[in-house]
Amino acid sequence: MQPKDPTPEPIVNEAELLARVDNDTGLLRELIAIFKIEFPRHLSELREAIGQGNLKSVRKSCHTMRGMLLSLGATRATAAAAQLEQSGDSSDGAELKSALARFESEVMNLLPALEACVAKAGP
Amino acid sequence: MRILIADDDVLSLRLLERTLERCGYEVTAVQNGRVAAEHLCRHDGPRLALLDWVMPELDGPAVCRQVRQKRQQVYVHMVLLTSKESKQDVIEGLESGADDYLIKPFDSAELKARLRTGLRILQLEDRLVEAREDMRFKATHDPLTGLFNRGIIMDLLSRELSRTHRENGCTTILLGDVDHFKDVNDTLGHIAGDEVLREVARRMVASVRSYDYVGRYGGEEFLVVLNNCDASASLLRAEQIRRAIASVPVQTIRGPNSVTMSLGVISSRDWGLRPVEELLQEVDVALYKAKAAGRNCVKLASPHVPPNVLPQSLEGQSK
Repeated sequence: MQPKDPTPEPIVNEAELLARVDNDTGLLRELIAIFKIEFPRHLSELREAIGQGNLKSVRKSCHTMRGMLLSLGATRATAAAAQLEQSGDSSDGAELKSALARFESEVMNLLPALEACVAKAGP
Repeated sequence: MRILIADDDVLSLRLLERTLERCGYEVTAVQNGRVAAEHLCRHDGPRLALLDWVMPELDGPAVCRQVRQKRQQVYVHMVLLTSKESKQDVIEGLESGADDYLIKPFDSAELKARLRTGLRILQLEDRLVEAREDMRFKATHDPLTGLFNRGIIMDLLSRELSRTHRENGCTTILLGDVDHFKDVNDTLGHIAGDEVLREVARRMVASVRSYDYVGRYGGEEFLVVLNNCDASASLLRAEQIRRAIASVPVQTIRGPNSVTMSLGVISSRDWGLRPVEELLQEVDVALYKAKAAGRNCVKLASPHVPPNVLPQSLEGQSK
């Protein structure tokens, strides 16, 4: 039996992200700037939808955020968003809130990780 | 090549836009499915599209369905680019009319390769359309002069006469014949003869209005259909054609050659509702009179019976 890889998955898959932007750090900065504006807005909509028990809006917000996170190579946050999107299919409020908490904890360190990535990539 | 991209996620949209711009595409980026469909349904809209699934107002598959329904003249190659990845989603997406399906996040190299596949399909379609148009032209035009061929000019004449009777308008037929054309062929040869016919055709087309029809009726005979043109205006037009041909010699490989044309003219207003064959017979008689009068002139066909007296066979048709 193969031993499990002890290395945890990174917050941002930097190699994947830089390849996606074709090593264009200017574009990467532009995407991060968009992320800073758009992501909090979607997150706020998501919290509101969960509070109101509006599952359709929950699924929609999760789907949009998952798309953004995928584009940024945010592997762990993407997985948490997918889990939250799936939870949107159930009307279990407790499960939704717990999935939201996991998601929020994953995205908490995302912005610093993205900024570190762009700093490492150079001007 | 122009490409439309549609995604309600601004971040993914910008990433995609920049990636495609780097490849030389002229990108139109929209965030709404309805707006995407509007762009793609325009007759001069982009023919390549990358569509997200979840979008406001109209989702990606609905955009595909609308484009397939509304823009049938030219093909639009549409690719769904979405994070929906179940087999059922892929099937549903393709069934909606998408040509390809890509799962987010896109791999830049794969995306470019798939778009190149789309371009190849569009280029193939362009070649097929071009070949079809070429065949259509050959089936309707005379290869020597480029004018309408006999079959088509006869169809156009019948159609114009029907419209004329329906709308109480006036259609005039001019039948022109190059004088002594056999001599041109016999003395200068067939190549020079062909040059004469081509130049005569060119001058005839230049002498009529853009909405009149000029066709090659036979060897050196040409038929012109003038729409909404009464007898006196038609005589002037016929005279203009005659002068255009006679005034300047035609250049041939054997040197300049003077060419003239005799023309018969018939106006539907003078003749009333008559079968096409009868009008053609009468305009041929007028042409014969122009030849008998010394050629290089125009003669108008005059009716033997008043225009309000219809042959019995046509009375029923006029009702």
